[in-house]
Amino acid sequence: MAATERLTPATARAIDPVWTLRLAIIAALLVAWELLARSGLLFQDVVPSLVKIVAALGLLMVNPAFWSNLGVTVSEVALAMAIGGVAGLATGILVGGSRFLSRAYEAPLYYLAPTPKIIFFPVMIMWFGIGPASKIAMGAVSCFFPIALSTAAGMRQIAPVLIDVGRSFRASTMQMVMKIYIPAMIAPVASGLRLGLGVAIIGTLLAETKLSNKGLGFLIIQSYQHFDMPEMYAILIVVFTLAALINAIFARPHNSPKPNSP
Amino acid sequence: MALVKRLRAVLPAMTGLATIVGAFAVLEGLLRAGLINRYIVPLPSEVLFSFERVVMEEHISQRFAQTLGEAFAAGLLAAIAGFLVGVLLYRNRLLERAVGVWVAAFAAAPLVLAYPLFLVIFGRSSLTIVMLGFLSGIAPVIMKTLEGLHAVRPVLLDVGRSFKLRQGQIFWKVLFPAAVPTIFVGIRLGLIFALINVVGLEFLINFGGLGQLINELAERYDMPGTYAAITFVILISVVIFAGLERVEQWLRPSA
Amino acid sequence: MAIHAIERATARQPATAMADTGGAAAQAALRVTGLTKQFDTPQGPLTAVQDVSFSVGEGEFVSIIGPSGCGKSTLFKILGGLADGYRGRAFVGNEPVAGPHPAIGMVFQEESTFPWRNVLDNVAFPLEIAGMAKGQRQERARHFIGLVGLAGFEQRYPAELSGGMRQRVAIARTLAFEPKILLMDEPFGSLDEQTRLLLGDKVLQIHQSLKQTSLLITHSITEAVQLSDRIIVMTYRPGRIKRVVPIDLPRPRTSEVVSSEAFGRYVAAIWADLREEASRGMTDAERPS
Repeated sequence: MAATERLTPATARAIDPVWTLRLAIIAALLVAWELLARSGLLFQDVVPSLVKIVAALGLLMVNPAFWSNLGVTVSEVALAMAIGGVAGLATGILVGGSRFLSRAYEAPLYYLAPTPKIIFFPVMIMWFGIGPASKIAMGAVSCFFPIALSTAAGMRQIAPVLIDVGRSFRASTMQMVMKIYIPAMIAPVASGLRLGLGVAIIGTLLAETKLSNKGLGFLIIQSYQHFDMPEMYAILIVVFTLAALINAIFARPHNSPKPNSP
Repeated sequence: MALVKRLRAVLPAMTGLATIVGAFAVLEGLLRAGLINRYIVPLPSEVLFSFERVVMEEHISQRFAQTLGEAFAAGLLAAIAGFLVGVLLYRNRLLERAVGVWVAAFAAAPLVLAYPLFLVIFGRSSLTIVMLGFLSGIAPVIMKTLEGLHAVRPVLLDVGRSFKLRQGQIFWKVLFPAAVPTIFVGIRLGLIFALINVVGLEFLINFGGLGQLINELAERYDMPGTYAAITFVILISVVIFAGLERVEQWLRPSA
Repeated sequence: MAIHAIERATARQPATAMADTGGAAAQAALRVTGLTKQFDTPQGPLTAVQDVSFSVGEGEFVSIIGPSGCGKSTLFKILGGLADGYRGRAFVGNEPVAGPHPAIGMVFQEESTFPWRNVLDNVAFPLEIAGMAKGQRQERARHFIGLVGLAGFEQRYPAELSGGMRQRVAIARTLAFEPKILLMDEPFGSLDEQTRLLLGDKVLQIHQSLKQTSLLITHSITEAVQLSDRIIVMTYRPGRIKRVVPIDLPRPRTSEVVSSEAFGRYVAAIWADLREEASRGMTDAERPS
C-alpha cells in the first residue's frame, strides 16, 4: 500500500495492515463464537463459552492422565514413522534406482497411495491385536507410501549429468554415493518424510479413536461419550496446535534466494 | 522384431502384476500348509469367492451410490466454494496476504481428527460426512485457484486491456481460461481428499455406504468378506484417481 | 597470403567420409578411427555418427562444429569414456578408451553444478575426489574462481546465480583439475557474446600455459575460429566429417583477432559449408515425425 511506504520502519510496523486485518478477523470470530455460545440458540455446550474452553484447557494441562496419553500417542507415532520410514526408504531406493523396477512398481505405489488407509484397520487388529501394535501398524502403513514415492522419485530424478560429472573426475563408488547420490536425494527424501509424518499422525490418531483405551484419540472419543464438550474442544486445540508446530518445525527451509540475473 | 519390442515395453508392468499375483499365490500356499493362522489371514481364494457374495447380498450398488453421492456432493461444494474464496482472495490482495498462510495451515491440518465434534454438531448422518469431506477438500481448491490466477502471465492481461475489454470480460475471457488447468488440479485434489475422508469416515462412524460395509463385515468377523470389501474400495479409488488424471491430461494437452 | 591459405583449405571437396590426418606427426593425444554409433529410438535406429576418424595432436586446440543433431556430443561422450556401444576405435595417447581417462577433464553442456554445494565447494570437487587437503584445494579453487570472473561469489549457491554464471562455475571446476586434455561440449552456450569472448581468451591462456590439448564442441563459428588451430566441420545426421579447416591465424591469439579480415573470411567460408547442413537439419525438424 503506497501510503505506508513513506513511513519510518517503526511506525510502519505499528500499523502493518496485514496484521491489523488478521487481528480484526480473529477478534471478530472470537466475539461471534462467544455470542453464539451465550445465545442459547444451539443445544447446550455444542458451542461452549470460551471461558469454559479455556478452563478445560487449563484442567487438561495439569491432568497427569492427559500427559500419559500424549506420551502413548507420541511413542506410537514415532514407532510408526520408524517402521514405515525405513520400509519406505528401502523400497524407494530399490525401486527408484533401477529403471526396470521403477517401471514395474512405481505406478502401483502411486495409484495405491491416495486410498483411505484407515479401512485397513480391521486387518491390523486381526494381525496385531487391540493394543498399541495395531495403531502403530496403521500409522506405518499410512506413512510408507509418501516416503517410498518421494524417495523413488528422488532417486530417479537425479540429473544424469551430475552422475557424469562424478564419473568424469573418476570418483570411487563410495565417493559417488556420499558426495553425489546422498546430497542429491536429501531434499526429496526430507519432503517425503514430512508428508509421511503428517499422515502417520492422522492414521495413528484415527485408529486410536476407533478402538483403543489409550492415547489422544482415545481421550477425544472419551470426551465425546461423556459429552464433555469443553474438554473435547480443549483436546482438539492441543492436537491441532501440536500438528501445526510439527509442520512448522519441519517445513521446507527457504534456502537460497532466487537468481536475479538472466 | 516389432513384437519383441512390444513385449519388452509391457514387461515391467507385467512384472508388477505378476509379483502381486505371485505373492497371493505364495500366501495361499502358506495358509493351506498351515504355516500361517487361517483365522488371522483368510485364503486369498476364499476372499475372491466372497466377492460375489458381498456384491449380491450387501446391496453393493446402493452403498456404492451412497458413498459416491456423498463424495461428489462434498467435492462439488468444495470446488465451488473453494473457487469463489480463491477468486475473492485474488481480488483483494490485502485479504490474501492476511489470510493466505492460514489457508495453507488449514490445508495441512488433520481436520478429520475432529470428526467426533462433527458427530455432536451434525449427528451420525450423511451431513457430518459431507461436511468433513467438504472441509477437507476446500483448501487445495483455494490454493490452486490462487496459484493459477497468479501464474497468468501479465502480458496476456495486457493483450486484453489493449483490446479495451472490461474488467469482467478480462476475468472470464483471459484470466479464467488461462488459470483453468491449475484450478482443475486443485479440484482433482479436493475431490480425492473428499473421497478419502468420506470413505474413512463412513468406516469410523459406521454410517453410510462402502466404508460402513467394511466396518459391518469386520464386526461380524466375516474376514473373507471384510478383505473383499476393502479390496473393492481400493479398486474403486484407484479407478477414480486414474480417471481424474485422464481428464486432467485432456484439459492440458501441452503439459 | 593468409587469404590464399583460406581458399585452398576450403576449396570444394567431396563430402565423403573424410579421414582427418592432421595433427602433429608425433603421438596424437586423442585419436578416433572409423567411429560409428547408432541409437535406438521409437522411430527406429538413428545413426548419430558414421565412420568418423580424426586425431588431435598434443598441444593442439581443435574444434568440432556442426548443426544440431550431428552427433558432436556423442563424440564428446565417447572420448570422455562415458559412452559405449559404438563401432570403431578411440584412443587417448596410445591407450584405448575404457572409461574416463585420468588425463581428461570434461565440461558438459547441461546444467552441471551441484546445487547442494556452494561455488567454492563445487570448484574444489575434483580436488576433493583426488584427496587434496582442504586448505590447499580451497586455495586452488579460489584461483580458478577468480579466473572465470566470479571472485566474491565463493559462498553463493548455484540457485542464486544466473545460468551463465553457473556455467562458469562448471568451467572453473574442470580447469581446477588442470587436466592435460580438455574436452568441452558447448561450454559457452548460455553466456552472452562479450562474456564468451573474454572467457575464450582465458581458456586459451590456460591452454597455452599448461600446454593442454583441447577439443571444443561448438555451434558457434566465431568461437571456433577465435580459439582453434583446426576446425572439423561435421555434416548433418548421420554425422560425417565434411571438411577440416586449418586456421592460420597468429598465436598467441586474443579476442582482438575477431576484428581482423582473415577472421571474417574464415567465418564466411565455414558458414558456406555449414549452412547447407544446418538447413537440412531445419527442414528435418519441421517434418512431422
